[in-house]
Amino acid sequence: MNDLERVERIKAALGERAVEITNPAPQRIFLTVPVQALVPALEQLKTELGYRHLSTISGVDMGDVFEILYHIGYVGGNLNVRTRIPKAVPRLPSVCSVIPGAILYEREIQDMFGIIVDGIPDGRPLLLSDDWPAGVHPLRKDWTPTRPEEKIPGGKS
Amino acid sequence: MKFQIPIGPQHPALKEPLSLRMTVEGEVIRDADLRLGYNHRGMEKLAEQRTYLQNIYLTERICGICSHSHTTCFVQGAEKLMEVEPPRRGLYLRYVVAELERVHSHLLWLGVAGHEAGFDSFFMYVWRDREIVMDILEMISGNRVHYAINTLGGVRRDIDEALRQKILDFLGILRTRTDYYFKLGVNEPSFVARLAGVGYLSKEDAIALCAVGPTTRASGVAFDVRRDDPHGVYGEVPFEVCTADSCDVLGRTVVRIKEILQSYNIIEYLLRNLPDGPVAVKAPRRAKPGEVVARYEAPRGENIHYIKANGSDKPERLKVRAPTLGNYAATLVMLKNGFIADIPLIFAAIDPCICCAERTVELVDGRSGRPTIVRWSELRRMAARRAGRVSKKRNVEWPL
Repeated sequence: MNDLERVERIKAALGERAVEITNPAPQRIFLTVPVQALVPALEQLKTELGYRHLSTISGVDMGDVFEILYHIGYVGGNLNVRTRIPKAVPRLPSVCSVIPGAILYEREIQDMFGIIVDGIPDGRPLLLSDDWPAGVHPLRKDWTPTRPEEKIPGGKS
Repeated sequence: MKFQIPIGPQHPALKEPLSLRMTVEGEVIRDADLRLGYNHRGMEKLAEQRTYLQNIYLTERICGICSHSHTTCFVQGAEKLMEVEPPRRGLYLRYVVAELERVHSHLLWLGVAGHEAGFDSFFMYVWRDREIVMDILEMISGNRVHYAINTLGGVRRDIDEALRQKILDFLGILRTRTDYYFKLGVNEPSFVARLAGVGYLSKEDAIALCAVGPTTRASGVAFDVRRDDPHGVYGEVPFEVCTADSCDVLGRTVVRIKEILQSYNIIEYLLRNLPDGPVAVKAPRRAKPGEVVARYEAPRGENIHYIKANGSDKPERLKVRAPTLGNYAATLVMLKNGFIADIPLIFAAIDPCICCAERTVELVDGRSGRPTIVRWSELRRMAARRAGRVSKKRNVEWPL
């Protein structure tokens, strides 16, 4: 099955759920779905078309919106399911009911972007340290790292 | 009765910081929980402030063993964004180093597996031969760990005819030694007995939890990015995907040794068909706005980089998912219903010698709390009954 056939099949199966579907490079398909249709769309992709391996979930801070990409591998290439959520209301449904292996990636997104994943089986912090200040999320563009001033006990001579 | 045991983040049995919380019931692990981030260096944030060229050297430092995997994955993506095609010779040399890295990484793992199973002579033999690969890598790139051979549009160093011949000679030595280890690894009874049936991961779990690399291939899932999503030279090199269906640590050992042998074939093919010409072309500093997903089969499994460009000389976003993160969810399943044999050092730290002091053992029933005295003969019978129940050893030729 080549890329074009795959695109046609996904379009036919998802119907209105697929807002936009492109094939910018060989072996790469980008699919955009609205956030309400994310879980049913992934379910359909998995059960009807056999897209079952989730490589990872990427988040991108685009200013007013977060762009979330679900990278799904298949034999022959890579399908990227894109969805957008407003930064003011950063809520995302959990896809763990469809793909159990998504759990660590969702926990990572919660830590790094401050996105609340609804229905996550285990939402405890994963990556940030225990004394990390609440409400600060390092991969948002409005956060810039500052290096704390070096203090040498006893002072420099 | 259940207890929670913390292991790590700093622990003598762990080489790197990682926090595991085990819920144990008697000797059996019932639940395992994970906490990461003790070695988090904020590289994805840092990459947004560095140019594409600087990012090659940044991504190289993500890992100290598969350093070439991350740079290769990154330059694959960045070259697509910049619309540069590396010359054939540069491409071949890039994947010669990639396969040599896979060999050295698998040999390293094999040695560690021998050490953890209490087979230390195996560990020393394997690591001695790993030095041959390290020497080849040093001759090609000048470095043992961070090869720094990738650049945008090709590789930074060429090899001459003498070195090409030398590598081919060394491969012959490595091949005989690896054949011997394959025979040893699946025939040595105590080694096999320690590995077989440990860390069971079913095929269904491996698929559902999106496991990658030798872990998923040992569970019978033929998933290899080199074949499933051909990148670089892998579309034209003949090789086969190695799998095992025993779903345990023995299967993972077998898969890795088979993969080493496949890697020798790939290196030999690449070196025998090495094209002439330049090794690199000049790449632009900026990339056009766009996005790209690059995938690469690292020694530990699928490595994926997502790069978003905004038109400047720095990426807007670089997302890296190293293979180990993809395997953690599966690891927690493997630990469940296993034994505390993974965590013996906690107990050994107090250096108790109970069995010397007593010839009988007092056992406390976990449910009723009633203590009973068990004689040595009864204990032996119990052990024999238990040994009869352990899972069957497959892929094994018993020499005795």
